[in-house]
Amino acid sequence: MASTKARAPAYRGIARSALLTLPIALWSLLMFTPTFQSSSPNLHIGAVAVIVFMTGLFFMMMRTGSTYRWRRIFFVALGFLFPVGFITQLVAARGTMSIPIERMVSGDTPFCFMVTPSLILPAAFARTIVFPGSILPTASNPHSIAVMIGLWFAFTLVMGKAWCSYACFFGGIEEGFAGIAKRAKIRKLDPRLRLIPWAILLFVVLVSAAIYEPVYCMWLCPFKTVTEFPAVRSLTSALQFVVFIVLFAGLVVVLPFLTKKRTQCGFFCPFGAFQSIFNKINPFEIRFNREKCVDCTLCQSACPTMALSAESIREGKTLLNCMKCGACVDSCKKDAAVWHLKGTEVAVKPERARLLFLYGTWAMATMFGGSVLANSLATTLHLIHWN
Amino acid sequence: MRKRIPVVLAYAGATLTLLIAACTPFYLMGAFSSAVARAGLHIDAAYSGGTIARTYQRDGYRIVVYNPVRPHLLQGIEPFVQVVFTPVSALPAVVDERIDLDGDGLNDVHVTFAMDRRPGAKLRGNVVALNANYESLMDVGDESFSRMFVLVNNEVIVRVPFHPAVAKK
Repeated sequence: MASTKARAPAYRGIARSALLTLPIALWSLLMFTPTFQSSSPNLHIGAVAVIVFMTGLFFMMMRTGSTYRWRRIFFVALGFLFPVGFITQLVAARGTMSIPIERMVSGDTPFCFMVTPSLILPAAFARTIVFPGSILPTASNPHSIAVMIGLWFAFTLVMGKAWCSYACFFGGIEEGFAGIAKRAKIRKLDPRLRLIPWAILLFVVLVSAAIYEPVYCMWLCPFKTVTEFPAVRSLTSALQFVVFIVLFAGLVVVLPFLTKKRTQCGFFCPFGAFQSIFNKINPFEIRFNREKCVDCTLCQSACPTMALSAESIREGKTLLNCMKCGACVDSCKKDAAVWHLKGTEVAVKPERARLLFLYGTWAMATMFGGSVLANSLATTLHLIHWN
Repeated sequence: MRKRIPVVLAYAGATLTLLIAACTPFYLMGAFSSAVARAGLHIDAAYSGGTIARTYQRDGYRIVVYNPVRPHLLQGIEPFVQVVFTPVSALPAVVDERIDLDGDGLNDVHVTFAMDRRPGAKLRGNVVALNANYESLMDVGDESFSRMFVLVNNEVIVRVPFHPAVAKK
Protein backbone atom coordinates (compact mmCIF):
# COMPACT_ATOMS: atom_id res chain seq x y z
CA MET A 1 0.00 0.00 0.00
CA ALA A 2 1.23 3.47 -0.76
CA SER A 3 1.05 5.69 2.25
CA THR A 4 -2.33 7.37 2.33
CA LYS A 5 -2.21 11.12 2.14
CA ALA A 6 -3.41 12.97 5.20
CA ARG A 7 -6.18 15.32 4.27
CA ALA A 8 -6.15 18.97 5.29
CA PRO A 9 -6.39 19.04 9.08
CA ALA A 10 -9.17 21.61 9.07
CA TYR A 11 -11.58 19.78 6.76
CA ARG A 12 -14.26 20.73 9.29
CA GLY A 13 -14.27 23.02 12.27
CA ILE A 14 -14.07 21.62 15.79
CA ALA A 15 -17.63 22.61 16.72
CA ARG A 16 -19.18 21.12 13.58
CA SER A 17 -17.09 17.94 13.89
CA ALA A 18 -18.16 17.63 17.54
CA LEU A 19 -21.80 18.08 16.57
CA LEU A 20 -21.52 15.37 13.91
CA THR A 21 -19.82 13.11 16.46
CA LEU A 22 -22.53 13.61 19.09
CA PRO A 23 -24.79 10.74 17.86
CA ILE A 24 -21.86 8.29 18.03
CA ALA A 25 -20.87 9.55 21.50
CA LEU A 26 -24.44 9.02 22.75
CA TRP A 27 -24.62 5.63 21.05
CA SER A 28 -21.33 4.56 22.69
CA LEU A 29 -22.66 5.59 26.11
CA LEU A 30 -25.86 3.68 25.46
CA MET A 31 -23.98 0.55 24.37
CA PHE A 32 -21.74 0.51 27.43
CA THR A 33 -24.29 1.53 30.07
CA PRO A 34 -24.95 -2.14 31.04
CA THR A 35 -21.19 -2.64 31.52
CA PHE A 36 -21.20 -0.13 34.38
CA GLN A 37 -23.62 -2.36 36.30
CA SER A 38 -20.86 -4.98 36.50
CA SER A 39 -18.80 -5.07 39.70
CA SER A 40 -15.50 -5.33 37.80
CA PRO A 41 -13.50 -2.07 37.93
CA ASN A 42 -11.35 -3.39 35.06
CA LEU A 43 -14.45 -3.64 32.89
CA HIS A 44 -15.44 -0.09 33.86
CA ILE A 45 -12.01 1.17 32.82
CA GLY A 46 -12.21 -0.82 29.58
CA ALA A 47 -15.66 0.59 28.78
CA VAL A 48 -14.63 4.20 29.46
CA ALA A 49 -11.49 3.75 27.35
CA VAL A 50 -13.51 2.31 24.45
CA ILE A 51 -16.15 5.05 24.60
CA VAL A 52 -13.40 7.68 24.42
CA PHE A 53 -11.51 5.69 21.76
CA MET A 54 -14.44 5.08 19.39
CA THR A 55 -15.86 8.58 19.83
CA GLY A 56 -12.43 10.15 19.43
CA LEU A 57 -11.71 8.26 16.22
CA PHE A 58 -15.09 9.22 14.77
CA PHE A 59 -14.43 12.83 15.68
CA MET A 60 -11.13 12.68 13.80
CA MET A 61 -12.91 11.19 10.78
CA MET A 62 -15.28 14.13 10.83
CA ARG A 63 -12.56 16.68 11.49
CA THR A 64 -10.04 15.51 8.89
CA GLY A 65 -12.33 14.00 6.24
CA SER A 66 -10.11 10.91 6.25
CA THR A 67 -11.71 7.54 6.92
CA TYR A 68 -9.01 4.95 6.36
CA ARG A 69 -6.31 5.97 8.79
CA TRP A 70 -8.66 6.44 11.78
CA ARG A 71 -10.58 3.26 11.00
CA ARG A 72 -7.27 1.43 10.79
CA ILE A 73 -6.36 2.41 14.36
CA PHE A 74 -9.60 0.84 15.62
CA PHE A 75 -9.27 -2.19 13.38
CA VAL A 76 -5.67 -3.01 14.30
CA ALA A 77 -6.47 -2.56 18.01
CA LEU A 78 -9.39 -4.97 17.56
CA GLY A 79 -7.21 -7.48 15.71
CA PHE A 80 -4.49 -7.52 18.36
CA LEU A 81 -6.65 -7.26 21.48
CA PHE A 82 -9.29 -9.84 20.48
CA PRO A 83 -6.92 -12.83 20.81
CA VAL A 84 -5.74 -11.55 24.22
CA GLY A 85 -9.27 -11.64 25.62
CA PHE A 86 -10.31 -14.80 23.80
CA ILE A 87 -7.24 -16.87 24.63
CA THR A 88 -7.28 -15.75 28.27
CA GLN A 89 -10.93 -16.81 28.60
CA LEU A 90 -10.17 -20.18 27.00
CA VAL A 91 -7.19 -20.83 29.24
CA ALA A 92 -9.16 -19.76 32.33
CA ALA A 93 -12.05 -22.08 31.41
CA ARG A 94 -10.15 -25.07 30.02
CA GLY A 95 -6.49 -24.57 30.85
CA THR A 96 -5.61 -24.74 27.15
CA MET A 97 -6.28 -23.11 23.78
CA SER A 98 -7.15 -26.44 22.23
CA ILE A 99 -10.72 -27.63 22.15
CA PRO A 100 -11.08 -31.14 23.54
CA ILE A 101 -13.44 -33.64 21.93
CA GLU A 102 -15.82 -33.61 24.92
CA ARG A 103 -16.41 -29.88 24.41
CA MET A 104 -17.19 -30.53 20.75
CA VAL A 105 -19.74 -33.28 21.41
CA SER A 106 -21.42 -31.22 24.12
CA GLY A 107 -21.85 -28.29 21.69
CA ASP A 108 -19.48 -25.96 23.51
CA THR A 109 -17.47 -24.73 20.51
CA PRO A 110 -18.02 -20.96 20.09
CA PHE A 111 -19.38 -20.29 16.60
CA CYS A 112 -17.13 -18.32 14.28
CA PHE A 113 -18.68 -16.51 11.32
CA MET A 114 -15.84 -17.75 9.08
CA VAL A 115 -17.44 -21.20 9.02
CA THR A 116 -20.73 -19.89 7.57
CA PRO A 117 -20.05 -20.82 3.90
CA SER A 118 -19.24 -24.42 4.93
CA LEU A 119 -22.70 -24.75 6.45
CA ILE A 120 -24.75 -23.61 3.47
CA LEU A 121 -25.37 -26.81 1.51
CA PRO A 122 -25.90 -29.26 4.42
CA ALA A 123 -28.21 -26.70 6.06
CA ALA A 124 -30.14 -26.10 2.84
CA PHE A 125 -30.58 -29.71 1.78
CA ALA A 126 -30.48 -31.69 5.03
CA ARG A 127 -31.22 -29.00 7.64
CA THR A 128 -28.00 -30.12 9.28
CA ILE A 129 -25.34 -27.88 10.77
CA VAL A 130 -21.91 -29.44 10.30
CA PHE A 131 -20.32 -27.62 13.22
CA PRO A 132 -19.81 -28.83 16.81
CA GLY A 133 -21.62 -25.90 18.43
CA SER A 134 -25.12 -25.33 19.76
CA ILE A 135 -27.96 -23.66 17.88
CA LEU A 136 -29.30 -21.79 20.92
CA PRO A 137 -27.08 -20.12 23.51
CA THR A 138 -26.22 -22.18 26.58
CA ALA A 139 -24.55 -21.36 29.88
CA SER A 140 -21.32 -22.92 28.63
CA ASN A 141 -21.57 -21.49 25.09
CA PRO A 142 -23.17 -18.05 24.75
CA HIS A 143 -21.71 -17.68 21.23
CA SER A 144 -24.28 -20.01 19.70
CA ILE A 145 -24.92 -20.47 16.00
CA ALA A 146 -28.27 -18.60 16.01
CA VAL A 147 -26.80 -15.61 17.89
CA MET A 148 -23.70 -15.31 15.72
CA ILE A 149 -25.53 -15.78 12.41
CA GLY A 150 -28.15 -13.24 13.55
CA LEU A 151 -25.41 -10.77 14.37
CA TRP A 152 -23.59 -11.40 11.10
CA PHE A 153 -26.80 -10.94 9.10
CA ALA A 154 -27.53 -7.58 10.74
CA PHE A 155 -23.97 -6.42 10.03
CA THR A 156 -24.20 -7.59 6.45
CA LEU A 157 -27.40 -5.65 5.80
CA VAL A 158 -25.81 -2.48 7.17
CA MET A 159 -22.34 -2.67 5.65
CA GLY A 160 -22.08 -5.48 3.07
CA LYS A 161 -18.48 -6.46 2.49
CA ALA A 162 -17.36 -3.61 4.77
CA TRP A 163 -17.66 -6.31 7.46
CA CYS A 164 -14.10 -7.19 6.45
CA SER A 165 -12.75 -3.77 7.40
CA TYR A 166 -14.94 -2.74 10.34
CA ALA A 167 -15.96 -5.95 12.11
CA CYS A 168 -13.69 -8.90 11.36
CA PHE A 169 -11.26 -9.10 14.28
CA PHE A 170 -8.95 -11.32 12.25
CA GLY A 171 -8.38 -8.78 9.47
CA GLY A 172 -6.99 -6.31 11.97
CA ILE A 173 -4.01 -8.57 12.68
CA GLU A 174 -2.80 -8.60 9.10
CA GLU A 175 -3.62 -4.92 8.65
CA GLY A 176 -1.29 -4.34 11.61
CA PHE A 177 1.52 -6.33 10.01
CA ALA A 178 0.87 -4.69 6.63
CA GLY A 179 1.37 -1.29 8.23
CA ILE A 180 4.82 -1.97 9.72
CA ALA A 181 7.13 -1.48 6.72
CA LYS A 182 7.34 1.91 5.02
CA ARG A 183 7.54 0.41 1.54
CA ALA A 184 6.45 -2.89 0.09
CA LYS A 185 9.31 -5.34 -0.52
CA ILE A 186 7.16 -7.24 -3.02
CA ARG A 187 5.34 -4.83 -5.30
CA LYS A 188 4.31 -6.87 -8.30
CA LEU A 189 1.40 -9.15 -7.54
CA ASP A 190 -0.47 -11.12 -10.16
CA PRO A 191 -4.04 -9.76 -10.36
CA ARG A 192 -5.33 -13.32 -10.79
CA LEU A 193 -4.50 -13.86 -7.10
CA ARG A 194 -7.77 -12.14 -6.25
CA LEU A 195 -9.64 -15.08 -7.79
CA ILE A 196 -8.18 -17.59 -5.30
CA PRO A 197 -10.69 -16.80 -2.49
CA TRP A 198 -13.53 -17.66 -4.89
CA ALA A 199 -11.88 -20.98 -5.74
CA ILE A 200 -11.37 -21.72 -2.03
CA LEU A 201 -14.98 -20.72 -1.33
CA LEU A 202 -16.24 -23.17 -3.95
CA PHE A 203 -13.92 -25.86 -2.57
CA VAL A 204 -14.99 -25.48 1.08
CA VAL A 205 -18.69 -25.28 0.21
CA LEU A 206 -18.60 -28.45 -1.91
CA VAL A 207 -16.18 -30.49 0.18
CA SER A 208 -17.89 -29.56 3.47
CA ALA A 209 -21.17 -30.78 2.00
CA ALA A 210 -19.52 -33.98 0.76
CA ILE A 211 -17.71 -34.99 3.94
CA TYR A 212 -20.01 -33.28 6.45
CA GLU A 213 -17.19 -31.42 8.14
CA PRO A 214 -16.40 -27.69 8.36
CA VAL A 215 -13.38 -28.07 6.08
CA TYR A 216 -12.16 -24.48 6.44
CA CYS A 217 -12.18 -24.75 10.25
CA MET A 218 -10.58 -28.16 10.32
CA TRP A 219 -7.84 -27.55 7.76
CA LEU A 220 -7.48 -24.05 6.38
CA CYS A 221 -8.15 -21.36 8.98
CA PRO A 222 -4.94 -19.42 9.77
CA PHE A 223 -6.62 -17.82 12.78
CA LYS A 224 -6.88 -21.11 14.64
CA THR A 225 -3.33 -20.18 15.69
CA VAL A 226 -4.63 -17.26 17.77
CA THR A 227 -8.01 -18.65 18.83
CA GLU A 228 -8.73 -22.33 19.40
CA PHE A 229 -7.93 -25.51 17.51
CA PRO A 230 -8.77 -29.20 17.82
CA ALA A 231 -6.67 -30.81 20.55
CA VAL A 232 -3.57 -32.49 19.09
CA ARG A 233 -4.20 -36.18 19.76
CA SER A 234 -3.20 -37.83 16.51
CA LEU A 235 -1.01 -37.41 13.45
CA THR A 236 -3.97 -35.82 11.63
CA SER A 237 -4.59 -33.20 14.30
CA ALA A 238 -0.84 -32.52 14.53
CA LEU A 239 -0.80 -31.95 10.76
CA GLN A 240 -3.81 -29.64 11.04
CA PHE A 241 -2.00 -27.62 13.69
CA VAL A 242 1.09 -27.30 11.49
CA VAL A 243 -1.08 -26.14 8.56
CA PHE A 244 -2.71 -23.47 10.76
CA ILE A 245 0.66 -22.15 11.91
CA VAL A 246 2.17 -22.12 8.40
CA LEU A 247 -0.87 -20.31 6.97
CA PHE A 248 -0.87 -17.80 9.82
CA ALA A 249 2.86 -17.11 9.56
CA GLY A 250 2.73 -16.85 5.76
CA LEU A 251 -0.55 -15.09 5.04
CA VAL A 252 -1.10 -13.03 8.17
CA VAL A 253 2.44 -12.05 9.22
CA VAL A 254 5.13 -12.40 6.54
CA LEU A 255 3.29 -11.64 3.30
CA PRO A 256 1.38 -8.61 4.65
CA PHE A 257 4.72 -7.27 5.92
CA LEU A 258 6.39 -7.82 2.53
CA THR A 259 3.54 -6.67 0.29
CA LYS A 260 1.72 -4.12 2.50
CA LYS A 261 -1.47 -5.89 1.42
CA ARG A 262 -3.97 -7.90 3.45
CA THR A 263 -2.91 -11.12 1.77
CA GLN A 264 -5.11 -13.52 3.74
CA CYS A 265 -8.19 -11.34 3.18
CA GLY A 266 -7.44 -10.55 -0.44
CA PHE A 267 -5.98 -13.78 -1.72
CA PHE A 268 -7.23 -16.57 0.53
CA CYS A 269 -10.27 -15.93 2.74
CA PRO A 270 -13.37 -17.75 1.42
CA PHE A 271 -15.60 -15.91 3.89
CA GLY A 272 -14.39 -12.63 2.39
CA ALA A 273 -15.35 -13.86 -1.08
CA PHE A 274 -18.74 -14.93 0.25
CA GLN A 275 -19.19 -11.53 1.89
CA SER A 276 -18.40 -9.80 -1.44
CA ILE A 277 -21.71 -11.05 -2.79
CA PHE A 278 -23.51 -8.86 -0.23
CA ASN A 279 -21.92 -5.74 -1.68
CA LYS A 280 -24.59 -6.13 -4.37
CA ILE A 281 -27.41 -5.49 -1.88
CA ASN A 282 -25.68 -2.75 0.11
CA PRO A 283 -26.44 0.82 -0.97
CA PHE A 284 -22.93 2.18 -0.34
CA GLU A 285 -19.92 1.90 -2.60
CA ILE A 286 -16.78 3.70 -3.77
CA ARG A 287 -16.86 5.25 -7.23
CA PHE A 288 -14.42 7.25 -9.36
CA ASN A 289 -15.18 10.62 -10.89
CA ARG A 290 -13.73 10.15 -14.37
CA GLU A 291 -13.64 13.90 -14.96
CA LYS A 292 -11.12 14.30 -12.13
CA CYS A 293 -9.26 10.97 -12.39
CA VAL A 294 -5.79 11.22 -13.95
CA ASP A 295 -5.09 7.45 -13.88
CA CYS A 296 -2.17 7.91 -11.51
CA THR A 297 -2.93 4.44 -9.96
CA LEU A 298 -2.23 5.73 -6.43
CA CYS A 299 -5.59 4.25 -5.39
CA GLN A 300 -4.64 0.89 -6.87
CA SER A 301 -1.42 0.86 -4.86
CA ALA A 302 -3.27 1.91 -1.71
CA CYS A 303 -5.98 -0.75 -1.95
CA PRO A 304 -5.13 -3.46 0.62
CA THR A 305 -6.96 -6.27 -1.21
CA MET A 306 -6.40 -5.42 -4.90
CA ALA A 307 -10.07 -4.55 -5.32
CA LEU A 308 -9.22 -2.12 -8.10
CA SER A 309 -8.01 -2.77 -11.63
CA ALA A 310 -7.13 -0.36 -14.44
CA GLU A 311 -10.34 -1.42 -16.22
CA SER A 312 -12.54 -0.96 -13.16
CA ILE A 313 -11.10 2.52 -12.54
CA ARG A 314 -11.74 3.41 -16.19
CA GLU A 315 -15.34 2.34 -15.63
CA GLY A 316 -15.41 4.45 -12.47
CA LYS A 317 -16.03 1.44 -10.20
CA THR A 318 -14.31 -0.86 -7.74
CA LEU A 319 -14.35 -4.64 -8.10
CA LEU A 320 -16.87 -6.75 -6.19
CA ASN A 321 -14.38 -7.53 -3.40
CA CYS A 322 -14.10 -3.86 -2.29
CA MET A 323 -14.40 -3.76 1.50
CA LYS A 324 -15.00 -0.01 1.72
CA CYS A 325 -12.02 0.69 3.96
CA GLY A 326 -11.55 4.09 2.32
CA ALA A 327 -7.84 3.67 1.49
CA CYS A 328 -8.39 4.66 -2.16
CA VAL A 329 -10.45 7.72 -1.22
CA ASP A 330 -7.82 8.91 1.25
CA SER A 331 -4.97 8.33 -1.19
CA CYS A 332 -6.53 10.17 -4.14
CA LYS A 333 -4.87 13.55 -4.58
CA LYS A 334 -7.49 14.70 -7.09
CA ASP A 335 -10.54 13.78 -5.00
CA ALA A 336 -11.66 11.52 -7.84
CA ALA A 337 -12.31 8.52 -5.56
CA VAL A 338 -15.51 9.22 -3.68
CA TRP A 339 -18.02 7.59 -1.36
CA HIS A 340 -21.22 6.98 -3.26
CA LEU A 341 -24.82 6.05 -2.65
CA LYS A 342 -26.08 3.73 -5.39
CA GLY A 343 -28.81 5.35 -7.46
CA THR A 344 -27.48 8.89 -7.02
CA GLU A 345 -25.14 10.73 -9.36
CA VAL A 346 -21.43 10.06 -8.87
CA ALA A 347 -19.48 12.76 -7.00
CA VAL A 348 -22.66 14.66 -6.11
CA LYS A 349 -22.69 15.02 -2.33
CA PRO A 350 -20.11 12.26 -1.68
CA GLU A 351 -19.66 13.44 1.91
CA ARG A 352 -23.34 12.83 2.56
CA ALA A 353 -22.91 9.25 1.30
CA ARG A 354 -19.82 8.85 3.51
CA LEU A 355 -21.66 10.13 6.58
CA LEU A 356 -24.67 7.88 6.03
CA PHE A 357 -22.33 4.90 5.60
CA LEU A 358 -20.16 5.78 8.58
CA TYR A 359 -22.99 6.35 11.06
CA GLY A 360 -24.45 2.87 10.53
CA THR A 361 -21.09 1.16 10.23
CA TRP A 362 -19.41 2.89 13.17
CA ALA A 363 -22.47 2.28 15.34
CA MET A 364 -22.21 -1.45 14.58
CA ALA A 365 -18.42 -1.40 15.03
CA THR A 366 -18.85 0.24 18.45
CA MET A 367 -21.48 -2.28 19.50
CA PHE A 368 -19.51 -5.37 18.44
CA GLY A 369 -15.83 -4.50 18.13
CA GLY A 370 -16.14 -1.99 20.96
CA SER A 371 -17.42 -4.61 23.38
CA VAL A 372 -14.66 -7.00 22.28
CA LEU A 373 -12.10 -4.24 22.92
CA ALA A 374 -13.57 -3.37 26.34
CA ASN A 375 -13.53 -7.01 27.46
CA SER A 376 -10.03 -7.55 26.12
CA LEU A 377 -8.76 -4.38 27.83
CA ALA A 378 -10.34 -5.54 31.09
CA THR A 379 -8.66 -8.92 30.67
CA THR A 380 -5.32 -7.26 29.93
CA LEU A 381 -5.63 -5.11 33.07
CA HIS A 382 -6.45 -8.24 35.05
CA LEU A 383 -3.43 -10.06 33.58
CA ILE A 384 -1.05 -7.28 34.58
CA HIS A 385 -2.67 -7.24 38.05
CA TRP A 386 -3.80 -3.67 37.62
CA ASN A 387 -6.89 -4.43 39.67
CA MET B 1 -39.80 12.37 -12.01
CA ARG B 2 -38.28 9.13 -13.38
CA LYS B 3 -34.79 10.37 -12.47
CA ARG B 4 -35.91 11.04 -8.92
CA ILE B 5 -37.11 7.49 -8.21
CA PRO B 6 -33.62 5.90 -7.97
CA VAL B 7 -32.45 8.77 -5.77
CA VAL B 8 -35.42 8.38 -3.43
CA LEU B 9 -34.84 4.61 -3.31
CA ALA B 10 -31.13 5.19 -2.63
CA TYR B 11 -31.80 7.43 0.35
CA ALA B 12 -34.53 5.08 1.56
CA GLY B 13 -32.02 2.20 1.43
CA ALA B 14 -29.39 4.25 3.25
CA THR B 15 -31.91 5.26 5.92
CA LEU B 16 -32.92 1.63 6.29
CA THR B 17 -29.31 0.65 7.05
CA LEU B 18 -29.25 3.29 9.80
CA LEU B 19 -32.50 1.94 11.24
CA ILE B 20 -31.15 -1.61 11.14
CA ALA B 21 -27.96 -0.49 12.91
CA ALA B 22 -29.99 1.33 15.59
CA CYS B 23 -32.38 -1.58 16.14
CA THR B 24 -29.83 -4.42 16.05
CA PRO B 25 -28.78 -4.53 19.73
CA PHE B 26 -32.30 -4.01 21.07
CA TYR B 27 -34.49 -5.97 18.74
CA LEU B 28 -33.13 -7.20 15.42
CA MET B 29 -30.31 -9.41 16.67
CA GLY B 30 -32.80 -11.32 18.81
CA ALA B 31 -35.29 -11.47 15.92
CA PHE B 32 -32.68 -12.76 13.46
CA SER B 33 -31.39 -15.28 16.04
CA SER B 34 -34.93 -16.51 16.70
CA ALA B 35 -35.48 -16.91 12.96
CA VAL B 36 -32.34 -19.06 12.70
CA ALA B 37 -33.40 -21.06 15.76
CA ARG B 38 -36.88 -21.64 14.30
CA ALA B 39 -35.53 -22.79 10.93
CA GLY B 40 -35.68 -26.44 12.02
CA LEU B 41 -31.92 -26.91 11.82
CA HIS B 42 -30.08 -29.48 13.91
CA ILE B 43 -26.44 -30.15 14.73
CA ASP B 44 -24.98 -33.08 12.79
CA ALA B 45 -25.37 -36.31 14.76
CA ALA B 46 -21.62 -36.98 14.56
CA TYR B 47 -21.24 -34.11 17.04
CA SER B 48 -24.54 -34.13 18.93
CA GLY B 49 -24.95 -37.92 19.20
CA GLY B 50 -28.28 -37.87 17.39
CA THR B 51 -31.77 -38.30 18.83
CA ILE B 52 -32.80 -40.04 22.05
CA ALA B 53 -34.20 -43.56 21.62
CA ARG B 54 -34.94 -44.57 25.21
CA THR B 55 -34.11 -43.76 28.83
CA TYR B 56 -33.45 -46.18 31.68
CA GLN B 57 -33.99 -44.88 35.21
CA ARG B 58 -31.53 -46.17 37.81
CA ASP B 59 -31.11 -45.36 41.49
CA GLY B 60 -30.69 -41.54 41.31
CA TYR B 61 -29.35 -41.37 37.78
CA ARG B 62 -30.50 -42.03 34.22
CA ILE B 63 -29.01 -43.89 31.30
CA VAL B 64 -30.04 -42.25 28.03
CA VAL B 65 -29.60 -44.36 24.90
CA TYR B 66 -29.53 -42.58 21.53
CA ASN B 67 -30.53 -43.83 18.11
CA PRO B 68 -27.64 -45.26 16.06
CA VAL B 69 -25.64 -42.67 14.12
CA ARG B 70 -24.73 -43.74 10.62
CA PRO B 71 -22.34 -41.32 8.93
CA HIS B 72 -22.86 -39.88 5.48
CA LEU B 73 -21.15 -41.47 2.52
CA LEU B 74 -17.81 -39.62 2.71
CA GLN B 75 -17.91 -38.64 6.38
CA GLY B 76 -14.75 -39.79 8.11
CA ILE B 77 -16.28 -41.44 11.20
CA GLU B 78 -17.50 -44.94 12.08
CA PRO B 79 -21.17 -45.65 12.90
CA PHE B 80 -21.84 -45.56 16.66
CA VAL B 81 -24.45 -45.46 19.39
CA GLN B 82 -24.27 -42.81 22.10
CA VAL B 83 -25.11 -43.58 25.72
CA VAL B 84 -25.26 -40.82 28.35
CA PHE B 85 -25.07 -41.29 32.13
CA THR B 86 -26.51 -38.30 34.01
CA PRO B 87 -26.35 -36.58 36.47
CA VAL B 88 -22.72 -37.22 37.27
CA SER B 89 -23.24 -36.27 40.93
CA ALA B 90 -25.53 -39.29 41.41
CA LEU B 91 -23.26 -41.85 39.76
CA PRO B 92 -21.59 -44.43 42.01
CA ALA B 93 -17.80 -44.56 42.36
CA VAL B 94 -17.73 -47.47 39.92
CA VAL B 95 -20.40 -47.72 37.23
CA ASP B 96 -21.07 -51.26 36.06
CA GLU B 97 -24.08 -51.52 33.75
CA ARG B 98 -25.46 -53.96 31.21
CA ILE B 99 -27.49 -51.98 28.69
CA ASP B 100 -29.99 -52.86 25.97
CA LEU B 101 -29.06 -50.49 23.12
CA ASP B 102 -31.48 -51.62 20.41
CA GLY B 103 -34.61 -52.05 22.57
CA ASP B 104 -35.07 -55.79 21.87
CA GLY B 105 -35.10 -56.66 25.58
CA LEU B 106 -31.60 -58.21 25.54
CA ASN B 107 -28.48 -56.55 26.88
CA ASP B 108 -26.10 -55.51 24.10
CA VAL B 109 -23.12 -54.07 25.97
CA HIS B 110 -21.52 -54.23 29.40
CA VAL B 111 -20.19 -50.78 30.33
CA THR B 112 -17.77 -50.21 33.22
CA PHE B 113 -15.93 -47.11 34.33
CA ALA B 114 -14.64 -45.59 37.55
CA MET B 115 -15.68 -42.03 38.35
CA ASP B 116 -12.74 -39.76 39.00
CA ARG B 117 -14.19 -36.45 40.20
CA ARG B 118 -10.86 -34.63 40.60
CA PRO B 119 -10.71 -31.43 38.49
CA GLY B 120 -9.14 -32.08 35.11
CA ALA B 121 -9.19 -35.85 35.55
CA LYS B 122 -9.75 -37.75 32.31
CA LEU B 123 -12.34 -40.48 32.27
CA ARG B 124 -11.52 -43.91 30.82
CA GLY B 125 -13.73 -46.96 30.60
CA ASN B 126 -14.47 -50.33 29.01
CA VAL B 127 -17.28 -51.68 26.87
CA VAL B 128 -17.68 -55.42 26.43
CA ALA B 129 -19.93 -56.23 23.49
CA LEU B 130 -22.58 -58.82 24.40
CA ASN B 131 -24.01 -58.59 20.90
CA ALA B 132 -21.92 -59.17 17.77
CA ASN B 133 -23.26 -55.95 16.27
CA TYR B 134 -21.10 -53.84 18.58
CA GLU B 135 -17.37 -53.52 19.12
CA SER B 136 -15.72 -53.93 22.51
CA LEU B 137 -13.62 -51.04 23.81
CA MET B 138 -10.84 -51.41 26.36
CA ASP B 139 -9.47 -48.49 28.37
CA VAL B 140 -10.92 -45.85 26.07
CA GLY B 141 -11.01 -42.09 26.75
CA ASP B 142 -11.40 -39.36 24.13
CA GLU B 143 -10.05 -41.38 21.19
CA SER B 144 -12.47 -40.31 18.43
CA PHE B 145 -16.03 -39.22 17.71
CA SER B 146 -17.07 -42.89 17.43
CA ARG B 147 -15.32 -44.36 20.46
CA MET B 148 -15.21 -42.34 23.62
CA PHE B 149 -15.71 -42.08 27.37
CA VAL B 150 -15.84 -38.39 28.32
CA LEU B 151 -17.10 -36.40 31.27
CA VAL B 152 -18.66 -33.05 30.38
CA ASN B 153 -21.41 -30.75 31.75
CA ASN B 154 -22.68 -33.18 34.42
CA GLU B 155 -22.84 -36.07 31.93
CA VAL B 156 -20.71 -39.05 31.08
CA ILE B 157 -20.92 -39.59 27.33
CA VAL B 158 -20.05 -43.02 26.00
CA ARG B 159 -19.93 -43.81 22.29
CA VAL B 160 -19.91 -47.46 21.23
CA PRO B 161 -18.94 -48.21 17.62
CA PHE B 162 -20.67 -50.83 15.55
CA HIS B 163 -18.62 -53.91 14.71
CA PRO B 164 -16.76 -53.26 11.41
CA ALA B 165 -18.62 -56.11 9.72
CA VAL B 166 -21.98 -54.57 10.68
CA ALA B 167 -20.81 -51.03 9.96
CA LYS B 168 -20.09 -51.95 6.31
CA LYS B 169 -23.68 -53.14 5.75
